[in-house]
Amino acid sequence: MRRLLLLWTVWFTTNLLAVDATLKIEKDVEQRARIALVDGSAEHHEKFFDILLSDLKISGHFLADGNVYKGSFSDGFIDPKLKSRDYLLKYNLQLGSGTTLYIRLLRGADGTELFKKSYSIPDTAKMPFVAHKAISDINAYLKYPDISWLNRYVVFTRYAGKQTSEIVLADYTFTYQKPIIRGGLNVFPKWADGNQRTLYYTSYKGVLPTLYKIDIYTGNKSKIISSEGMLVCSDVSKDYSKLLLTMAPHGHADIYELDLSTGSKKRVTDFHGIDVNGKYVDNEKSIVFISSRLGYANVFRKAIDAPAVSPVVYHGRNNNACDTHDNKVVYSSRESSSSFGSNTFNLYLTSSRGGDTRPLTTTGSNQFPRFSQDGSVVLYIKQSSRGSAIGYINLASSQSLLFPVSINKIQSIDW
Amino acid sequence: MKKIYVSTIALLMLSGCAQNTPDASGNVSDANRIGSDTISIDESNMMEDGSGINYNSSSDGFVSVYFDFDGYTIASSMENRVRHNATKLQSVGSRQVKLEGNCDEFGTDEYNYALGLKRAKAVKDALADQGVNTSNVVMVSFGESSPVCSDPTDECYAQNRRVDLRLVR
Repeated sequence: MRRLLLLWTVWFTTNLLAVDATLKIEKDVEQRARIALVDGSAEHHEKFFDILLSDLKISGHFLADGNVYKGSFSDGFIDPKLKSRDYLLKYNLQLGSGTTLYIRLLRGADGTELFKKSYSIPDTAKMPFVAHKAISDINAYLKYPDISWLNRYVVFTRYAGKQTSEIVLADYTFTYQKPIIRGGLNVFPKWADGNQRTLYYTSYKGVLPTLYKIDIYTGNKSKIISSEGMLVCSDVSKDYSKLLLTMAPHGHADIYELDLSTGSKKRVTDFHGIDVNGKYVDNEKSIVFISSRLGYANVFRKAIDAPAVSPVVYHGRNNNACDTHDNKVVYSSRESSSSFGSNTFNLYLTSSRGGDTRPLTTTGSNQFPRFSQDGSVVLYIKQSSRGSAIGYINLASSQSLLFPVSINKIQSIDW
Repeated sequence: MKKIYVSTIALLMLSGCAQNTPDASGNVSDANRIGSDTISIDESNMMEDGSGINYNSSSDGFVSVYFDFDGYTIASSMENRVRHNATKLQSVGSRQVKLEGNCDEFGTDEYNYALGLKRAKAVKDALADQGVNTSNVVMVSFGESSPVCSDPTDECYAQNRRVDLRLVR
């Protein structure tokens, strides 16, 4: 059964990858380090091997050999057929009451040990994070550009029934999933600090939507603000001192900036239609946001302290979600006009000043785009006739990965 | 002639299949009586308003107001419902009334919640236009989180694009 599931996963991923194959390959394949995995564990763990492989691939720095090689963990023997690889990663995974991993990075040509480390956590569910940490450590040892985003939690809300949802933590592959807030309608989770210890979310427990900040380790919770109508924490400043909120004290959604140290609110947009999804750009002096001011959802830009509003995107009839990193903007655009049923939504990358726009996906419904913390990777949710998947696109290498997910409808996601 | 003979035999066989012949256990099979399912209607919370809509997910005597796809203007077919709600609102005195804006599933995160809110605001404004004091009315948007129907049909999606009204408890 597991093998069947694996085969299906590979088939699904390969098919979905094939449809986004028009991505421009910017990094020369030959520049990537060739690496093979040698499993020295007592028992081969397919899922763990797949996660290591995914980590190496999405990093954009390795050309990983997808074959499984078994061999001694401790010796320096190199199978002659692997000597052409730049590196071999030998590992020994032990799963029992917890997860223990030993790794050794060897030079392929002569078996010289370059790096070794061990990891141990008292939990088997969090096994994927051990794989992610090992690969990000190897990447750092080889002085490649940082990929520590592998180690971050993805937090998302999934609907569990009518006016009921769960806020769930996951690793980036969604192999690990843990609901942390259940009961009632709790939506729009957003990380509140760089260490992913606290997060904001909107609770519908009272008469009015209320924004809370919660410590995910202690459960300590504090109320930030309430608003009639709707309330969303859309973005957090780099120093975590200011929030961009979508609120509706006047009956329609506008964007406000909340200074957490003083408690003062600044109204950034004032429009009698829909203004949502505010994201900082230009060193937090401006925002990019979604507005219906042209009669349909589109991406706009506005300085926080000036009234002028200008469109960022000049195509599509429904560009209803976006994310930013520095001046990069990723947005989803509806490419078909079916009122009901399946529509094609594709992701595009542009800058807050407009100009060069690059498609990131080509088929299916691709939504909820979110940049990684360093802006190098875009996360998104893909729906197609084959099912749902969480996708990642490495913007520098154009490597992409899809992980099939079978969960109820996702409401919102942050990374 | 041979063709007519074969057809006659086939017709006789088919008509024989439709007879209510008991099987070995004595059970009678009659496919004509086991057709498609009958309707099941709850009329306790409906109103005849000429809109052709026979569903309602509001409570406390209020009726839901429905909207077009991606729209937040009140259609003329909904005006009787607004008038009904205005009369009902006047009868509840100082009690707080909640307008809940809802959407179908064809939208994403923040934008859908804002659309639900615009619908609630349209109903609140329409109630005010009827001369009703709306100071005790609060609005909240549930986006696509509160569907009353989950079938993949146009009628089902239409039931979810609505504003529900109810007393705050």
